[in-house]
Amino acid sequence: MLRAQSITTTLAASALIILVGLPVLFILLQAVFPEFARGSFGGAFSKLVILTENERLLMQARNTLLLAFSVMIGCLIFGLPIGILRGLFHVPGARVWDVVFLIPFLIPPFIAAIAWMMTLQPRGYLFQLAGFDMGRFLFSFTGVAFVMTLNLFPLVYFAVSRALEMVGERFASAARVHGAGALQAFFLITLPLSIPAIAASLLIVFAMSIEEFGTPAALASRTGFEVLVTGIYTRLSDWPIDLSGAALGSVMLMAMVLAAFTLQNWIATRRSYVSQTGKPANPEKADLGAWRWPVLGVFGLVALIGVVIPLAAIAVTSFMGTISGGLRWSNFDMRHYEPIFRSGSRAWQALMTSGWLAVLTAFATATIGGLVAYIVVRGTGRGRAVMDGLSMLPNAIPAIVLAVGIILFWNSPYLPISIYGTAAILLVAYVGILLPYPIRYAVARLRQISGSLDDAARVAGATQLRALRHITLPLMAPSLIAAMMLVFAIASRELVASIMLAPAGMRTVGTFVFSQFEQGSVQTGMAMSMIAITITSAILLAVNLWLARQGSSAFSG
Amino acid sequence: MLRTTVLATSFALIGGFAHSETLTFYTAGPGGLADALAEAFQAETGITVNVFQGTTGQVMARLEAEEANPQADVVVSASWGSAVDMHERGLLMEYTSPNAENVPDFLKHSHYVAQGISALAISWNTQSGTPRPNEWTDLAGEAYRDLVTMPDPAQSGSAFDLIAGLETAMGDAAWELLGALADNGMIVPGPNAAALNPVLQGAAAAVFGAVDYISYARAAAGESIEVIVPESGTVIAPRPMFILQSTTNPDAATAFVDFVLSDAGQALVADTWMMPARADVDGLRPGINELNVIEVDEDAAFARRDDIIARFNEVVTGR
Repeated sequence: MLRAQSITTTLAASALIILVGLPVLFILLQAVFPEFARGSFGGAFSKLVILTENERLLMQARNTLLLAFSVMIGCLIFGLPIGILRGLFHVPGARVWDVVFLIPFLIPPFIAAIAWMMTLQPRGYLFQLAGFDMGRFLFSFTGVAFVMTLNLFPLVYFAVSRALEMVGERFASAARVHGAGALQAFFLITLPLSIPAIAASLLIVFAMSIEEFGTPAALASRTGFEVLVTGIYTRLSDWPIDLSGAALGSVMLMAMVLAAFTLQNWIATRRSYVSQTGKPANPEKADLGAWRWPVLGVFGLVALIGVVIPLAAIAVTSFMGTISGGLRWSNFDMRHYEPIFRSGSRAWQALMTSGWLAVLTAFATATIGGLVAYIVVRGTGRGRAVMDGLSMLPNAIPAIVLAVGIILFWNSPYLPISIYGTAAILLVAYVGILLPYPIRYAVARLRQISGSLDDAARVAGATQLRALRHITLPLMAPSLIAAMMLVFAIASRELVASIMLAPAGMRTVGTFVFSQFEQGSVQTGMAMSMIAITITSAILLAVNLWLARQGSSAFSG
Repeated sequence: MLRTTVLATSFALIGGFAHSETLTFYTAGPGGLADALAEAFQAETGITVNVFQGTTGQVMARLEAEEANPQADVVVSASWGSAVDMHERGLLMEYTSPNAENVPDFLKHSHYVAQGISALAISWNTQSGTPRPNEWTDLAGEAYRDLVTMPDPAQSGSAFDLIAGLETAMGDAAWELLGALADNGMIVPGPNAAALNPVLQGAAAAVFGAVDYISYARAAAGESIEVIVPESGTVIAPRPMFILQSTTNPDAATAFVDFVLSDAGQALVADTWMMPARADVDGLRPGINELNVIEVDEDAAFARRDDIIARFNEVVTGR
């Protein structure tokens, strides 16, 4: 048995090393040896001086932290209340709301930023409809934090609602039997038990905020507000490029995320959050009763700001004949959709490519992530310690830096054979970038599942593998499926790595939209975004409905 | 170029992957042009062209990252300086296309040749309620307070060229102009498209230093945009096309360069509202001879790039 365990540990570790470890190593080598990409080790450390003489880098680091903290607070404001309500009560149309709040992940952040810009800027849609604009608000620190919050708050919503479903009413009921009030039970029992999941989701918000490029680039450059990632991107995208400088800047990002991760880990492990002991639980959620309408009002308000307005701005733009024509009926037509639906068009190829990549990425990340999480939480000895460290790696690397690392590694002269220049390189990149989701979701979930369930199965004669398959895996399934849906949604619109790595002749939805926007046809880009968002939403809705039909038996403890 | 792997063959996401003869083409926008050239070339020769299209920065970043193991055969960039730099580093293959005969001398070299040319201009929204600007300096006037955008020279190579050109033509007065524009509330929202977008909707009235062909195309699509080239002069941005020394398929690469410079290829270039590189092919818009072109010493300007951008940030964006 020990043998099987060490084999799986080795497999998972190799996957992490190949997907993330080696690209990071090559980035570090590039940071130290400026000529490394040309196959030379000359001029070691000659670029490290950039770190010490660059005040701008420190300013960017300060801005990055400030923005990330603001977005975390914003996500709590937007995501926590509805997450709690969804987790504890029968909210009418619960599964529909789940899909609605997945939509922000389907909107590429830079497209969302452009949609808000076209809505709020002077003479934007708001002005055309209501006679005033909110350009001052949008083009400010608050505005950037606001738009980024709207991209990310669903992370908190999903994590909180899933965690509360797990904790359930049982512990709170016990507290109430012992005389606690409903609010007291919630704040003393239910909320603290959900802290690992909330902390995990906030950490993802933090990581995604500091590595987000599209929103600050679109909005913050108007106010001279720079963050680390825009600095790194500038070094990578402005010719002559500075691979070494970008690698150095990313070291600061890694440090920030590692610090956050350590904090989260400390919160999660300093006491036990086990809530799934296998004892019979009452799966029923509380009814809202007369509160149903105010609660629906809150959900509706969040959906209006977070989903309806940006989506409407994208839709309206995609149907506009000309931008300068404004909101007039005579200016609306389908002309920007026609080239997309033309048979065998590149837009269609891009949709298919992104679809397949997103599905494969979801399954691959769930498999690897679930395995890694299991070893981190349940493993023993050296394997666990190694895996604990390795599992942090994917989180600490911004997508754009991982993309460069992948180029440096997979395209290096030291490899005899490579997948560089093929579609597989994109899969490798997507999996590396999106692995943190399943790992975090599964780790947080596993910490809530008591190891004694496994032990009971083993005592009853089951092998470890059998216990894993029949006890732990079904208990992990809800988090893994939630993570897979997130991965699918984000992978289907991934941009940065796609631009850097897609082989010549291959397009994804993200690169197609981006190139449309770069060439000035905002409407075609918005039309393609609309189509992609519609298709992805439909698929996610179908999955959700299917899960509902399967009943909770297959996927809940 | 084609590296066979087990994964690649089992990963049948893209068609045409196993074709016997393929050419890999990295190009700056517009993407429609790259696709049109690739399709027409394939129809003529049967050679499949795999296109990677991005901004000049993305193309150059990719080339540099792949330097140890190059993938591309033919490259088009939007920055003449990038071709000069790559040639000096010995990365380009020498080739002079017979079709380049009618390309003006200053747009060709033994190792690279212009594909097409864009110019820098004022893009003005005719429904903005502002008077029609005629000169660069007009945009510093009270009528355009808070209504002017400019592409960021750190991100847009052509905007950088414009500053270098204005400095050549006007001396320090160019910096006074930029300072006056900044005092007048000019915003620098990002690369070219980011500067044009607010003008389309009317959030701003004019772009100072717009890439002309993008605006011509938008005007042709019905937007209320007029492209104004100041009589005092502007700079042009020729787009160099070159073959990498590392190409494994020089015959296909030279055939492709020949095709881009052929009558058919140059007509496709003209369709994008750029100026064709060949003087004997008409564009859809005013050609080089109708513009007052400011000659810029590209090499000297490029050597001072960091200084110029730092000064721009000091004078305009306050960074």
